[in-house]
Amino acid sequence: MKIYSIAFQSLRRRKTKTIFLIIGLFLSVTSVVTLITVSENINRSVAINLDEFGANIIITPKSDQLMINYGGLSLGEVSFNNSQLSDNDLQKINTIKNRKNLSIIAPKLFETVNLKGKNVLIAGVRFSDELKLKKWWVIKGKSPLPPNNILVGSNTAEALRIKLNDTVSINEQRLVVSGILSNTGSQDDGLIFMDIFTAQTLFRKLSKLSLIEIAALCYDCPIEDIVSQTSSVLPTANVTPIKQNIESKMMAVHSFERFSLGISLVMLVTSFLIVFANVNSSITERTKEIGIFKSVGYRNSHILQIILTEVIAASLTAGLLGFFAGISASKLVLPFLSMHGLSSFTYNFTTLPIAVLLSLFVGITACIYPAIKASRLDPTVAFRFI
Amino acid sequence: MSLIEIENVSKEYKSGTEIVTAVNNISLEIDRGQFITIMGESGSGKSTLLTMLGGLSVPSKGKVLIDDLNIYALPQNNLSDFRREYLGFVFQTFHLIPYLTVEENVMVPLAVGDLTRIQKKEIVHATLDKVHLKEKSKRLINELSGGEQQRVAIARALINDPLIILADEPTGNLDSKTSEDIMDIFGFLVEESKTILLVTHNKVYQSYADKKIFLKDGKIYGGD
Repeated sequence: MKIYSIAFQSLRRRKTKTIFLIIGLFLSVTSVVTLITVSENINRSVAINLDEFGANIIITPKSDQLMINYGGLSLGEVSFNNSQLSDNDLQKINTIKNRKNLSIIAPKLFETVNLKGKNVLIAGVRFSDELKLKKWWVIKGKSPLPPNNILVGSNTAEALRIKLNDTVSINEQRLVVSGILSNTGSQDDGLIFMDIFTAQTLFRKLSKLSLIEIAALCYDCPIEDIVSQTSSVLPTANVTPIKQNIESKMMAVHSFERFSLGISLVMLVTSFLIVFANVNSSITERTKEIGIFKSVGYRNSHILQIILTEVIAASLTAGLLGFFAGISASKLVLPFLSMHGLSSFTYNFTTLPIAVLLSLFVGITACIYPAIKASRLDPTVAFRFI
Repeated sequence: MSLIEIENVSKEYKSGTEIVTAVNNISLEIDRGQFITIMGESGSGKSTLLTMLGGLSVPSKGKVLIDDLNIYALPQNNLSDFRREYLGFVFQTFHLIPYLTVEENVMVPLAVGDLTRIQKKEIVHATLDKVHLKEKSKRLINELSGGEQQRVAIARALINDPLIILADEPTGNLDSKTSEDIMDIFGFLVEESKTILLVTHNKVYQSYADKKIFLKDGKIYGGD
């Protein structure tokens, strides 16, 4: 028999006390693991949803000319007259290392035309991508599907008195207004959108592009990496992250993380107090036992070893059980918190050492003071209990 | 040279605002292999004297020399080691550890030593044999009678082969037949050259003693 055997026998045969000690730590570890796992899954889901909500990277041709703005973003002046981007660039973008993070790639070709005596900016887009990128669009009529259909911004429709199903002639091509965009408060209100291939054909700019917008999923990869990889495959283009979008997305994600962290801290403090109260009362009850150990010649360090071994063993058990219970609880809870984009449940095995270390930290810090107090107990005081 | 020398030992403690003198200027010499009974009424200072001899209660005045060692001049850890090597305690209410078996309780003092598991087992079984409890070595304490529990406590006190056994009313909770059995064990230990200091109320046990000490108000007032 060694010192640790006494500790293990104490844990084994004083079942109620042991169970209370483990439960205190177990509840805390389970709650923290559940919060971490749930928050990771929800953060990922929120991040994916936010990433798809508008572009966060914009690619424009490099230019030393004066800039023309599109929604506050500068477009090379040459882009109207001499597009330097092309359809080939879309293929190059799809070769970057983090291509899996590219959720939406939305190319655009801009051209000005004169309609009913007024200059109007035409945007050739891939409607399938554009509609995914601009989930806030509300279209009166239908989303334009056939190549000769167009979508007119609300301000343009009002200024040119264009109505749904009207026919508009651009460069002698008759185009049907299949939809009118409700007011968005953005540059889109002053545009006319048409299929990009139709625009390239109509303006004799086959394969040419004015800019490319990208919605990148950047929850688990830094946006700077994607920007740098894209820049390296498109050396003649400006690849710019839209800081405002990224920052607001990260702020939303981090707000939830901070909330989870706050709840976890509350759980930890509660658990610490439970374990502290448990160990403290247990040591008071064991004063007589400490007196016996002292009478048979145990040093203070031997008594400290017994108490610490018990708490460490209980903490390790609580940490392991708490991890698995936390993962199971997350699996049960997440469907109730389910949101669009939360397609699969994931958990991280690195949470296991975190759970065990957390349990050990709470267990040891909560017991260290009562344990030292017990080990230094004056034998005469201990003997009053004998 | 005596095994135990107590020189002008006093023990005072505070009780509220009053200072109580539990042991008052006692001097005593005890030789190796002697059986000493310490008698006196409750509050006479018997148990206090015993705990001072056991290195558990620092005297307010005086010196306690055991085997020529001034035990209270020893550093804390050395005093613990001294207790483990020189002393065995037996208490009135046994004071065994309830979650350990008979064998484990007896082995508690050996848990901090360097012996191998097999050596420890051998010593424990030999010691349990002395107190006729070998066959109950795997039992938990609450499965034993009072007399058996006291025999386990004696076995624990003997496990390190100490020179001195300090027994504080060891038969106080036992019936007369069981008490006799326990006293027989003490008698047998004296034959093995153990020095026994027995605190008791029972005058019958004076017949076992080589030396009798009577205490009153913390002072020796009689004996031989």
